[in-house]
Amino acid sequence: MGIATSTKPFVERVEEAKKDKFMQASVAKAQDAQWDKREAARKELGNWEQWRDLGEQIRQHVIKYLPDYLEEFADNVEKKGGHVFFAKTDQEATEYIKDLAVKKAVKKVVKSKSMVSTEIDLDKELMKLPGVSVMETDLAEFILQEDNWDEPTHIVFPTLHKNRDQIQKVFEKLGYTGSNEPEKMAKFARKYLREYFLQADMGVTGCNFAIADSGMINLVTNEGNADLTMAIPKTQVVVMGMERIVPSLKEAEVLDNMLSRSAVGQKLTSYCSFSGKRTDDESDGPDDFHVVIIDNGRSNALGTQFESVLQCIRCGSCLNVCPVYRHIGGKGYGSIYPGPIGAVLSPVLDGYEEFGDLPYASSLCAACTETCPVRIPLHELLIEHRHVMMDKLHTDHSLTNTIMKTIGVGTGSPILFKSAMFGANTASKVVSHHDHDSVAGFLYETGRIGKLHKPVPKFARGWTDIRDLPQPAKSHENFRHWFKKHKQEQAAKGGK
Amino acid sequence: MGNANREEFLDFLAQKAKRPRHQLHEHPFQPLNDLPETTLSGKSQDELLEIAQKNSEAVKVDFKKVTTENLGKLLDEYIAAKKIKNLILPTTDKWNEFNLDKWQKEQAATYWQPQAAREVNIKTAQSADGAVGFADYLLAESGTITVATTAGQGRAFNFLPTHYLSIIKKSDIVPRTRQAMDKYDSDIKNGVLSTSNINFITGPSNSGDIEMVLVVGVHGPLDMTYVVVEDL
Ligand code: SF4
Repeated sequence: MGIATSTKPFVERVEEAKKDKFMQASVAKAQDAQWDKREAARKELGNWEQWRDLGEQIRQHVIKYLPDYLEEFADNVEKKGGHVFFAKTDQEATEYIKDLAVKKAVKKVVKSKSMVSTEIDLDKELMKLPGVSVMETDLAEFILQEDNWDEPTHIVFPTLHKNRDQIQKVFEKLGYTGSNEPEKMAKFARKYLREYFLQADMGVTGCNFAIADSGMINLVTNEGNADLTMAIPKTQVVVMGMERIVPSLKEAEVLDNMLSRSAVGQKLTSYCSFSGKRTDDESDGPDDFHVVIIDNGRSNALGTQFESVLQCIRCGSCLNVCPVYRHIGGKGYGSIYPGPIGAVLSPVLDGYEEFGDLPYASSLCAACTETCPVRIPLHELLIEHRHVMMDKLHTDHSLTNTIMKTIGVGTGSPILFKSAMFGANTASKVVSHHDHDSVAGFLYETGRIGKLHKPVPKFARGWTDIRDLPQPAKSHENFRHWFKKHKQEQAAKGGK
Repeated sequence: MGNANREEFLDFLAQKAKRPRHQLHEHPFQPLNDLPETTLSGKSQDELLEIAQKNSEAVKVDFKKVTTENLGKLLDEYIAAKKIKNLILPTTDKWNEFNLDKWQKEQAATYWQPQAAREVNIKTAQSADGAVGFADYLLAESGTITVATTAGQGRAFNFLPTHYLSIIKKSDIVPRTRQAMDKYDSDIKNGVLSTSNINFITGPSNSGDIEMVLVVGVHGPLDMTYVVVEDL
C-alpha cells in the first residue's frame, strides 16, 4: 500500500475522523503537552532562531551536494566492510532486503521504528518469505503490528489514536492478563520482546542521519530497542531515505539536539547512537552491515520549488502545532506522513492523483512553518502545490486564488483572526459562536469557511464538508497570542 | 552485493537537481555560527558538575558524587540496595585508574570478555541484573553519559542488564554534545580510537507510547546511576 493508509476518499476519512472523539481528545492533549515541553526546551537552549539558521544551513547544504555526500558515505561504509545498495523504488529496496534474508537463511527479524520501512511495506514483504517472522520492537509499532497492522497516525507518536483499553485488548491476545496501566503493559512488552530479540538473526533499523565522513548511522530513540537491534542480530539492514545525511558527526550532533527538543521537548532523547559494522575485536554488533538508500519519489523534489521538503528531520513538530491535524488526526490524511509535512511530502512522493487533497488540508495559518526547526516554508509549499495542480489541470489560474481565498477566510487575514478571537463584530460573518473553554471549541467551532465557488476541483471538494475547520492565526504573533490565551485559560481552570 | 547501480543513481540525482556532481570539495560545509561550541562554554569544572547533576536528576538519574577513596564502598552499597545477584563488569584497565583493582577482584562478577563469542557475551549481559561500567564523558547540559564500544565493554553491556551504573571522572564532564563529539571525531580520525559504536545515553530507557504516559524502563535498563569521581 506504500504511503497511503486508506483507500477511502478524503471526505469520508474526514467524516470518520470527526466522529472519533477519543482521537481528537488525545491529539489535543498531546499538542498541548508537547507545546509546553517543546517551547521550554527551546527556550532553555537559547538563541533558538540562530539554531534554526544553523539547522537549515546544514540541511540545505547536504541537499545541494546530495550525490557527493551519498558517494562519500557509501565509500566509507564499504571501506569498513559494509554494503550499500541504492534503490530507486520501494520494490528495488524490498527485493534487495528479501534476497539478503534468503541468502542469510534469516528466520527472525527485529525492527526498530522506521517510517521508511513502513513507506516501502517492508514488514509485509519480508513475511512473504517462508519461515520468516518479523517483529516491530518499538512499543508503539509493536502495538500497531499486533493490532492487525494498524497504520501509524503520527510520525513520532504512532499510536496516538489508541487508548489504554484498546491496547490492553491487543496484549490480551498475546497472553497478557494484567490491568490497563501503561507501566504494566510496557513491562509485559519488554519481556515479550526481549525473548524475541535474543533469537533474532536480522535487525532492521531506520536512520535519522547517515554520517558521510565516517560511514556510521545515527539513531535517536527513547526506548533502547534500536540499540538492541544494532547489537544482537548478526545482520543489520539500515533503510534510509536518501536525504537523511550529514557531513560529519558534528552536524549530526547539532541536529540531534534540535530533533530531540522539537520532537519530544527533551534536551536529548535517552539514546543517541552512532553506529556501523562491528570492528574485528568487538563481539556484538553486526557482522554484516547493509545500508539501503532509498529514492522512491524523493528525487521528484530535486531542482523544483519543493526541494526544501527534503530538509525535513521528521521531528513531528509541525503536526503538533497544526489545527487541522488536531481536528482530523493522522487517519484523516490517509498517508503514513500526515500533518503539514505529510500534506507537502505525500504528493511529492506519490503524486497528485493520490494525494491532491492534502495541500488543501490546511488553514494556511503558518504555525507549521513557524515551528519547523529547519525552516521549511511548509505553508508556502502547500500553496505551491495548489498552483501546480491548477496548472496541471489547465484550468483558469485565478480559480486557485479564489479557492485559496475562500479556504483562507478567517485565517487568511489577521484582522479577521483577531476578530474571531476576541469576538469583534467584523468577524460576525464568518464566526458563528465562541467557545473559549477549550482549544477544540475555540479553534474548531468558531469561524466557518465559506462555500467554495463552483466548479470545484475534485481534490478541494472535501473542504465543503469540513467547514468547521480551525481558524487559528496566520501570523506567528497571532498564533502565539492565541496559545498564550489558551494556556492562561487552562491555568485558570487548574489545568496545565 | 549492491554497488553496481550507484553511479546511475547518483547521476540521476544530479540530473534532476540540475547541479553537476563533485562540486563539494570546493564548497565544504562552513557553519554560519558557533553556537554548538559557545553554548554553555566558559564554566568551571565545579559549575559543570552542578549543572550536570541538576540535568541528570531531571531525567530520573540517581546522581552520586564520591572520592576514589570511597568509591568501592559506594559500589557495594549500590549492589546491596539494588539486590544485584548477577553483576556484569567490563574488561578494562580503568579499574586501576579509579583505584578499584582490589574492589573488582573481590567481586563474584561476570565479565564482558574481549575474546568471547557474540553469543557468550550477550548471554552474560542478558543474565546480569546489574552492570557497573565506565563512561567517557558526562554532558552537563543534558545529563548524558557517552560510551564508545570497546572489546571489553560491548554494545549490549549498556542495554541488557536490569540496573546500570556508570562511573565518570569529574574532569571528563564537558558542557555539551559538541565537546564530546569533537573529541570522538578527532580520536577516530587520528586512529586513537577504534570503535564501531558510540552511545550517548541520557537517563533510563522510557516511552510515552501508551496515552503519552511516561513509562520508564522499556527495553534498556530500568534505572540509571551516575557516579562522578570528584578527585579525578
Ligand atoms: S517539516 Fe519541519 S517541523 Fe515538520 S516534521 Fe519536518 S522538520 Fe519537523
